Amino acid sequence: MKPERNEPKILVANRDLVLPGQALAVGPIRPGDYVYVDKKGVLRSTKVGLADIREGEIRVVPLAGSYIPREGDLVVGTVSKVAGNTILVNINSAYPGVIIPPRGLRGRARAKYNLSPGDLVLAKVKAFDGVSSPLLSIEGEGLGKLVGGRVYMINPTRVPRVIGKRQSMLMLLKSKLGPEIIVGQNGVIWYNPKSLKHALLMEQVLAKIERESHVSGLSDRVLRLIESSGILDSQGSEAGEV
Amino acid sequence: MLDERIAAELVGGYIRELAASGQRKDGRAFDEIREIKIRPGTFTKAEGEAWVSLGATQVLVGVKADVGTPFPDTPDKGVLISNVELLPLASPTFEPGPPDENAIEMARVVDRALRGSNAIDMEALAIKSGELVYMIFLDMYALDHDGNIIDAFALGSLVALSRTKIPVVEVTEEGEMVVKEETFDLPLRDLPITFTFIKIGDALMLDPTLEEELVSDAAITISIDSSGRVCSIQKRHGSFRVDEIKRAVSIARSKYPEVEKILREQGGLV
Amino acid sequence: MPLIVEKKPEVLITEDGIRTDGRGPLDLRPIKIQVGVLSRADGSAYLEWGGNRVLAAVYGPREVHPKHMALPDRALLRCRYNMAPFSTPERKRPGPDRRSVELSKVIREALLPSIFLERYPGTAIDVFVEILRSDAGTRVAGVTAASLALADAGIEMRGLVTAVAVGRVEDWVVVDPNHDEDQWGDADIPVAFLMEEKEITLLQLDGPMTQEQFDRALELASQAADLIYEVQKEALRRPYEAVRLEILRRGE
Repeated sequence: MKPERNEPKILVANRDLVLPGQALAVGPIRPGDYVYVDKKGVLRSTKVGLADIREGEIRVVPLAGSYIPREGDLVVGTVSKVAGNTILVNINSAYPGVIIPPRGLRGRARAKYNLSPGDLVLAKVKAFDGVSSPLLSIEGEGLGKLVGGRVYMINPTRVPRVIGKRQSMLMLLKSKLGPEIIVGQNGVIWYNPKSLKHALLMEQVLAKIERESHVSGLSDRVLRLIESSGILDSQGSEAGEV
Repeated sequence: MLDERIAAELVGGYIRELAASGQRKDGRAFDEIREIKIRPGTFTKAEGEAWVSLGATQVLVGVKADVGTPFPDTPDKGVLISNVELLPLASPTFEPGPPDENAIEMARVVDRALRGSNAIDMEALAIKSGELVYMIFLDMYALDHDGNIIDAFALGSLVALSRTKIPVVEVTEEGEMVVKEETFDLPLRDLPITFTFIKIGDALMLDPTLEEELVSDAAITISIDSSGRVCSIQKRHGSFRVDEIKRAVSIARSKYPEVEKILREQGGLV
Repeated sequence: MPLIVEKKPEVLITEDGIRTDGRGPLDLRPIKIQVGVLSRADGSAYLEWGGNRVLAAVYGPREVHPKHMALPDRALLRCRYNMAPFSTPERKRPGPDRRSVELSKVIREALLPSIFLERYPGTAIDVFVEILRSDAGTRVAGVTAASLALADAGIEMRGLVTAVAVGRVEDWVVVDPNHDEDQWGDADIPVAFLMEEKEITLLQLDGPMTQEQFDRALELASQAADLIYEVQKEALRRPYEAVRLEILRRGE
């Protein structure tokens, strides 16, 4: 009699590039994001992405896909329509956002909601039922209309890499390229560059992250790109100096 | 992935700022055209074809030859029929269906540039006066819209027409139509090149990207033939001052040799 | 009035099973695929299969217009198969005809079981299949390309869909019929499989087959699909592998 197999059989290595339908594992292991279990109990990927194997769970870090709102997400969008008490916001998703100003606001608190089509806003996803427009909120520190600056649109699946583990990448960008950088979970990045040179470098860095996120060592490559540009960092010293 | 509305809204502001200080988002000069690439290979069953990219804009143009009866008022001339399809896959805002006013305008503008320059020798396309002539179908397919599709169409049309080989058709004494094995080159005797300008504030820019098009205040398309003459003009949206139009014509004429060179080298035009 | 008149070849298949293009009965025509060829579409794939040239593109998930067509519990999958006017020897008038309407539906039904539609309620997923050059087997080429375009767009799927046609010429069951066999052969069976499980999501039959011939045809289709599946997977991997190689070569 064969002994009971109580160990899951993992069929891929960590960080392997996996494709939709690809078998990842069989047995007692939890299917995480972008993993489904087929009729025979095989765990398979639903997307093109990188396998991420942790204790007791296997998930896929996606490399493709559009933004689906989640409660709590910070998003950058533009006001597309103002109709009565409803402000429609384009957050580059199949689910356009909606801001509904709370009742009874006065003065400055109310002025926050005087938005017009074309305005850039930083908002938080307050509620999303998965089917209709997510409810956005601009109550709160730093939320609301964004003035000036420019915008870069990145594949939303790359946002975690732009932020980095424990915000490491974002802090690197802020220290070298200027503190005014806001990364929306919807892949819209707002930044206020100090100069045209900073702006162009920011675009190069973001393009590099987008292109190379699946190859490890990204932080080092980004750092090298910034240092080789000869740009002065926020403290005024040459990037790379201690 | 960029929705057109968000593009216009998000980038509109600083594209205007850049324009006011003499700059463009992709770093081009105001009179600089994006990279033109003609893709090698066979992609259709047309008698002449070209897959052309202008920056990220991509179009596929096919020329097909058929025979038919001439128009009654031009019994000795072939017939040119130009058609544009703004395929829904080229942009999130293109919808399936018959050509809308934009598609029709583009087709007619490209067609007019060819007629205005007498680029195609239509008399050479008659087989039997009043009875049988060649029908030349110029089908322009938009595949990927990053602005200035019309200039891409015009470039693609020139390359496709210059590559077009038409089967020789003869009419016997008994009035029978005979299609022969041999082919002849479509008689293209001029190269009318199209230049589209947009205006953002007071800045006049050549070959707009999609983002630039979306924030533009006005647009105009000008065709120049090989002798430097203006052979067709179409003002699209907005308004221009007289001096702006003159400047656009002048710039177009000065850019002609550079584009012609690219067509000849990459497109193999003779 | 067609300027090119086609003539039926004298011999469609020799006694030894050599076909008009020199292939054996089980041989596939060469297939080349490239994903991500369009900048605007969310996902795209360009496919060359024999003389076929097919461009597939996906937009989605995106808002549904008109709104009342949205489904509350899943995405609305729409598909448009279209042949370019210059895709055939005689120019085809632009616009849908009855055949392209049917093929649009058939292709949609082939892809639908592969997509987790319920993960995108209230949205639309639009698939476009453009036949730029037609050389027999455009619908299977279209399905094969469209499935990759969906993957390229990051739409959640159970697996890729792989399609191939099998035909009959006299007593021979042949894989991937060419133009002559499509025009003058005796039967044509396009099939699509949802891979890995190999569930059939497209199946049509045109022309008589004995039970034996039909069984053999399905078996051959399944084997051919395995080969095409490898080409699809390689196409999805290639852009990422290329970047990885480039970084290695740069010595970073």
